[in-house]
Amino acid sequence: METTLSHTDIITIQLAIAAVAAPFVVFLLNFFLVPKRSKVSGMLSGAAIGASLVLALLIFFRVWNQPALHVQQVWFTIGNTQIRLGIWLNNLSVLMLLLVSAIALPVHIYSIAYMKGDERYTRYFTYLSFFCFAMLALVVMDNLLLLYAFWELVGFASYLLIGFWFTREKAVQANKKAFIMNRIGDIALLTGIMLVYTHYHTFDLVTLFGAHPIKTTREVWVTIAGLCFLMGAIAKSAQFPLHTWLPDAMEGPTSVSALIHAATMVAAGIFLLGRVYPIFDSTVLTTIAVIGCFTAFMAATIALTQTDLKRILAYSTISQLGYMMMAMGIGAYSSALFHLATHAFFKCLLFLAAGVIIHEMQHLKHKHHLQIDTQDINNMGGLRKIMPVTFITCCVAALALIGFPLTAGCLSKDGILIQGFAWAEGKSWAYSIIPIGAVLTSLLTAFYIGRLMFKVFFGESRLEGISTDSEPEAHEENPLLYLPMILLALGSLFPLFSLDPLKFENAWIVKGFAGFAGKAESAGELIPLLISALSVGVVFIAYTVYVKQKLQWLKFKGVLFNISYNQWYIDSFYNGVIVKAMVGLSRAVAWFDTYVIDGVVKLVAGIGLVLSRVSAWIDKYLIDGFLNALTYFVKQTGNFIRGFQTGRVQGYLFTMLIIVLALYILKTFI
Amino acid sequence: MSMLSSFLLISAGLFCIGIFIVLSKRNAIQILIGIELMINAAILNLVAFGKYDNLANSGQVFALFAIVLAAAAVAVALAIILNVYRQYKTIDPAKVERLKD
Repeated sequence: METTLSHTDIITIQLAIAAVAAPFVVFLLNFFLVPKRSKVSGMLSGAAIGASLVLALLIFFRVWNQPALHVQQVWFTIGNTQIRLGIWLNNLSVLMLLLVSAIALPVHIYSIAYMKGDERYTRYFTYLSFFCFAMLALVVMDNLLLLYAFWELVGFASYLLIGFWFTREKAVQANKKAFIMNRIGDIALLTGIMLVYTHYHTFDLVTLFGAHPIKTTREVWVTIAGLCFLMGAIAKSAQFPLHTWLPDAMEGPTSVSALIHAATMVAAGIFLLGRVYPIFDSTVLTTIAVIGCFTAFMAATIALTQTDLKRILAYSTISQLGYMMMAMGIGAYSSALFHLATHAFFKCLLFLAAGVIIHEMQHLKHKHHLQIDTQDINNMGGLRKIMPVTFITCCVAALALIGFPLTAGCLSKDGILIQGFAWAEGKSWAYSIIPIGAVLTSLLTAFYIGRLMFKVFFGESRLEGISTDSEPEAHEENPLLYLPMILLALGSLFPLFSLDPLKFENAWIVKGFAGFAGKAESAGELIPLLISALSVGVVFIAYTVYVKQKLQWLKFKGVLFNISYNQWYIDSFYNGVIVKAMVGLSRAVAWFDTYVIDGVVKLVAGIGLVLSRVSAWIDKYLIDGFLNALTYFVKQTGNFIRGFQTGRVQGYLFTMLIIVLALYILKTFI
Repeated sequence: MSMLSSFLLISAGLFCIGIFIVLSKRNAIQILIGIELMINAAILNLVAFGKYDNLANSGQVFALFAIVLAAAAVAVALAIILNVYRQYKTIDPAKVERLKD
């Protein structure tokens, strides 16, 4: 950047670097210095992310709605190409910076209590700090190359954290699955980056997509590059068809699920879409909208019938991410990011609550010597009596998820829905499937989260011999566990985002991105009201079914139930078709290797062996034979001549005489 | 038949007898006698051919030398035989066969 920066701008940049570096420093400290089970690690990580949060706040107020800040310097030069690295602070990156650290801080505090007594306590916080570092760095980088590098580091950190309890077979499977699924997206992203570089000869995001983006020509490769970026985002944000890693990733510690799989890592995909938004042409945008809408709907239907607490939340996350994708696709850029921010709060809260609930269930399990799955919501019930704080905060989060008025979720969700209808207006009827799908998803969301809440907190305990009235309040006594939840619950309410609880247009995040968003028609005043009313109705149905135990026909187990319960058979399909095909292919290759390549090698070896046998035979029988015959001859000759050596003087004399006589005779007669 | 050839015949006869004794006898002393006979056959030849050297009589001089040498040889041979007898307790040359391979 050639323009000189003012003094305050330089300070802002330094603050940003410090905010990113703080978790990294702690990561190094934890990695090299802190002993294995030391409490210090948690404190350090928490302090670092706290510092990041404070710095992010400072940066936020300096940069938000101001001209974007950008500094860079030459990183390395290849030929005539200079690769620059730098920091680009605009509305999007400072919002993400703030959001990531704001979500990470409660999670860190919660983890200090949640992971207490784990034998790899320090390692957990090492990974967590590393993850935060990668995520924070990802959002401020101005360069596609570095963005990709940190993108990978985020994936790697999540791999470490999902497989944190690596002694469990399932956790290992899950982290491998997450890694491989993400890899597919990473390759697509890399392809996209290379495509962009080939045509524009720069990795610099500001040059590409900044305030004065270079002209994009509407060529085929732009669409392809856009699809590549979309693919990367699909894998990271767990969208169909690469979403199956997210539910499995629930094998990690629950606090990790809250941080990574609810609020930050999966948000990276949406963030990427936001960063490279100008590259998408209408084809790609429609694809994004369709994928997002389908994922949202599919995940919501799956969440209806799952029984594992964390799995329901995981599918809920996928569904909500689908919303954001869809919003991106329909041009509701600001609403997508708004929903990203609000969703981060209440989903993180729900996960943290799930962690506390599972802890409590384990506690009950050990106390009463039960053989139960502690994550199965069919085993829960009546927990509101023993866990009041969790209950209330969860209610707030659930209402926010439903999009109940006065919550933050209401604002952002309404924004998406209204803009969805506005987008479909004036286009062919097929386009209106998307907003209608979104509305349906919204209703399904209301039902499954209602089911979750009623099953877990209402009624009586479904465990035999346990009455929730008699159980003492447990596991909530630790303020480190419930303080973060209360904080997040407050963040899930509307005042944090807008002082006007009814109109999403007035939220500051939406205003901050107004430049990107198409003007929403205010015709959709009715839609949010209608949806809210319907949602309440749906929640009431859920209440009737699961608390009053009426309307039992809704619990039918038909084809639809099976589709939903088996997660649309997508995992089975992957296992049955793709994995099998891969395994089959590998088998074929292995067969080829064993029989053809090894066969050739063995054949050559065999020929060599036969040849050496022949030469050994020749050596032994012909060459050695000749030499042996020679020596035999010499030996026999020697032995023969030895016979003359009798030692008898008279014999010698006699021989001499004969020889002399013979010589004479010969001389005489010849 | 001249005088010379009768000498040579006697000498040859002596030589043959000597050889026969040397090759056939089982006693070292008898063999020594055979050797003496052969030497004497040679000396007889020297003397017989010495007739053709009237001036220097070198044949007879050689004969004298040869006799002396034969006597010395007999002395050495007897000493060897004595030592052989001490070593082997026999003087049969057929039994003294340590030179055998």
